[in-house]
Amino acid sequence: MPDSHILLVEPEPMLRRTVVMTARSLGMSQVHEAASSDAALRMLRSRTFHGAVIAVDCIGRGADQQYDLGLIDRLRADDTPGKTMPIAIMAEQATAELLKALRDRNISRVILKPFRAKVLLETIEKFGASPRKP
Amino acid sequence: MHIAAKPDNETARLAALYELLILDTPPEERFDRIAQFAASEFDMPIVLITLLDSERQWFKARIGTQVCETGRDISFCSHAILRDDTMVVEDALQDPRFADNPLVTGAPHIRFYAGAPLALPSGLRLGTLCLIDRRPRTLDTLDLGILGTLRDLAVMELVRTEENHDA
Repeated sequence: MPDSHILLVEPEPMLRRTVVMTARSLGMSQVHEAASSDAALRMLRSRTFHGAVIAVDCIGRGADQQYDLGLIDRLRADDTPGKTMPIAIMAEQATAELLKALRDRNISRVILKPFRAKVLLETIEKFGASPRKP
Repeated sequence: MHIAAKPDNETARLAALYELLILDTPPEERFDRIAQFAASEFDMPIVLITLLDSERQWFKARIGTQVCETGRDISFCSHAILRDDTMVVEDALQDPRFADNPLVTGAPHIRFYAGAPLALPSGLRLGTLCLIDRRPRTLDTLDLGILGTLRDLAVMELVRTEENHDA
């Protein structure tokens, strides 16, 4: 069994299950699934991960609309093992504000819609290929 | 055109299929969702969840076609249920089993086919989750893994149908 553990935070059940089951059937990294940020935070308290693929939602309306990066901020906090963990973000579109916010949080991989299981699995494969010490 | 032989367990296979009471039932969201996901994931114009009856293949879910069944003698899926792994025909015009098949020479003009057999826990293969394109295609290891997973999800739904009847 692979010894790298990747966290997948994705609310859509079909996409989430497809990625987790395919990773398992192909002997890739162990992918742990969370449907929400709250569920992800609980999992992050229970074990360490070598990478994460996280869907981020837009919150607010109109000009006040912005991506909710609360989970990322919690992961990147100084006292957490996730501080240096590689993270990929799934977002509807890449706005200049979002890209700047991601750069500030040391995130270099953005996956845009339409989200495909294959793209997520390729990302997980890369994260799992050279797991950093958590 | 090669007509596929019927599996050795054809009698038991048909009995298991009929026990599900699923043939000729209306579309169901739980199967449509899987077919729709596959069409989007693989960018395929046609995706089917097929069930092989004695003389026909009937579609429980169908994306990209209005046809709800075809003759079993011309079906690609009748070949696919003879094996455990996914059957891939990258270019039907180059495959002597299918080059003169009416589904290749006429509508829907199949060139690419990939069918993952829907095997019950008993091992009986009732049909396939299949991807069809009108141009030659290939699938890599990841694609085959994803198709296998979607097939497993479809089988889970078939088993759930079976359990609901037993309850």
